[in-house]
Amino acid sequence: MTQPDQQPIISISHIAKVYEMGDEQVHALRDVSLTIGANEYIALMGPSGSGKSTLMNMLGCLDTPSSGTYLFNGENVSDLNDDELAEIRNREIGFVFQTFNLLPRATALQNVELPLVYAGIAKAKRIEMAEQSLTHVGLDDRMDHKPNELSGGQRQRVAIARALVTNPSIILADEPTGNLDSKTGQDIMNLFNELWRAGNTVILVTHEEDIARHAHRIVRMRDGLIESDEANTKPLT
Amino acid sequence: MNVSESIWIALDAVRSQKMRSSLTLLSIGIGVFAIIASTGITGTLQNALTGQLADLGENSFLIQRTPTIQFGNSWRKYRKRPNISLEQANEFKERMTLTNLISVSNTSPGFTIKSGLESTNPDVSLIGIDEMYFLVNAPMLRDGRPVTEQDVALISNVALVGTDVVKSLFSDGKSLGRSITIKNQEFTIVGELEPKGGVLGQSQDNRVLVPISVYVKYYTPWWDASVDISVKSIAKEAQPATMDEAIGAMRLIRECKPWDENNFELDGNEAIGGQFANLSVAILAVAWISGIGALAAAGIGIMNMMLVSVQERTREIGVRKALGAKRKWIVRQFLVESVTLCQLGGLTGVIGGIGTTWLVSYYLQQSMPNLQFEIPWFAVVFSVVVCTMIGIGFGLYPAYKAAGLDPIEALRHE
Repeated sequence: MTQPDQQPIISISHIAKVYEMGDEQVHALRDVSLTIGANEYIALMGPSGSGKSTLMNMLGCLDTPSSGTYLFNGENVSDLNDDELAEIRNREIGFVFQTFNLLPRATALQNVELPLVYAGIAKAKRIEMAEQSLTHVGLDDRMDHKPNELSGGQRQRVAIARALVTNPSIILADEPTGNLDSKTGQDIMNLFNELWRAGNTVILVTHEEDIARHAHRIVRMRDGLIESDEANTKPLT
Repeated sequence: MNVSESIWIALDAVRSQKMRSSLTLLSIGIGVFAIIASTGITGTLQNALTGQLADLGENSFLIQRTPTIQFGNSWRKYRKRPNISLEQANEFKERMTLTNLISVSNTSPGFTIKSGLESTNPDVSLIGIDEMYFLVNAPMLRDGRPVTEQDVALISNVALVGTDVVKSLFSDGKSLGRSITIKNQEFTIVGELEPKGGVLGQSQDNRVLVPISVYVKYYTPWWDASVDISVKSIAKEAQPATMDEAIGAMRLIRECKPWDENNFELDGNEAIGGQFANLSVAILAVAWISGIGALAAAGIGIMNMMLVSVQERTREIGVRKALGAKRKWIVRQFLVESVTLCQLGGLTGVIGGIGTTWLVSYYLQQSMPNLQFEIPWFAVVFSVVVCTMIGIGFGLYPAYKAAGLDPIEALRHE
């Protein structure tokens, strides 16, 4: 999948994650290797307990592996501390959550501004970038609305605008249509397709085959291992 | 954006948790109020009193059985002292050689003065004086004559009246030659006093002056059968020597043994000012200690509010961390919030404290025209600083708790 002349964005080799639950050791990930290149569109699938969520947290730099190495754009992120991981997340990763996770008291514009605040960007520039990002997802007329004044689909669009605003290396979407009706879900998936076409790298985490079929590569997890890693030759558009 | 957002969140928390917040904020408010009101009022009074004492004349002093201002348990020490009788006072006059400006007087409050069908409120001060009173003390005659040596010797029922009394009794404002009744004794008015203003909220014009011999005969109250002696030195330089002579004379008259302490009090203006200063220090100490205590208790309330806030917003903290908030950002957000809460409570205390100081000053100004209302800026600044410190001090633990949350756990929090 990766272009040979291009450095992969994500390069995971032989990572494992072990949790201590009392006396018991839980192997969430046993031995996972994965490479993701620029402008890929990947679905990460698997039943609950398969290690899918753990791998997603790892990819999102919310967690570090117990063993193995994780290179993000060539930088080893396996041993970074809290604040260093926060910086990587801010710069490189755009999160889209199942429950949107917008700040309820802030307007759409302020929500999209938030990652730029943490990036230390000046206010005027922030507003300009946030407005651009909201326009991009078709919400130019809803910037001053608070989340409770927006529909589910609109809220998810705000979340996507927030994920895009820092121009991250990957967009990591965790069940992005899980809380939406199927029609709205379809609209959101169309938006992801557009983002991919515009050159973004998209990682979808889902347990729904219908959603996964939008991706061009499907990685299936089971018992802490990658069960299959195949190209989807007929992606839905 | 982040600071103003944190401030809004803090105000929002107050609105949504009215009871808990208002109790905590009230506690901060009370603490700040105690500090500011006590400092403001004692400061204003001290300024005013200093001005009034200067009026008395700096080379006068007063001999009394007990000090002018007492506080604490000192009354135990004073209550065994024998009274200063009129005879002792007269003997004192004869013994003093350095000055003859010596006046004997006594005052008791709460008299009703009648004339015909008119009568005053039962709040008139009755003062027994001798012929030296007008030479030693400040009051001036507006009209008529002072009390004479003969009046005292003959125990004559003559009276001098203050302007407040004239106003209440005589609608035409004329008093000379008219008669008034004080507790069944009839007096002829022989003089009227210049209006004078007041000290510490008490009008000095609501008074009637009678010869000290009359006062002692009819009006000596059971709780204060002692007369006061005012002494004026002939010059400021003579004051220490005059005081020494006065102490010697009094000890002799009152038969103090060499090893006994003085069984009377000798107060110069400085001493009275000093007593008031001691009293204000005591008031300030109590008010500031209880104020700071209230603030410390409020700090625990603030910490509780912030811990609840962190708990309620765990998921939001998770989102912020996922979006790249470093620890310092989260710590800062919660500290701004707790400092805002403290300042909000402090603000109510500052307004209440300044308002109370103003009210007291306004009331006292009725009788003390030269009193100035002053905002106790030091106490205000102190309160703002302490509120900030409490906000930071008690907000620190909740803030670090928030910053230390695991983003994965926090995002999963319902």
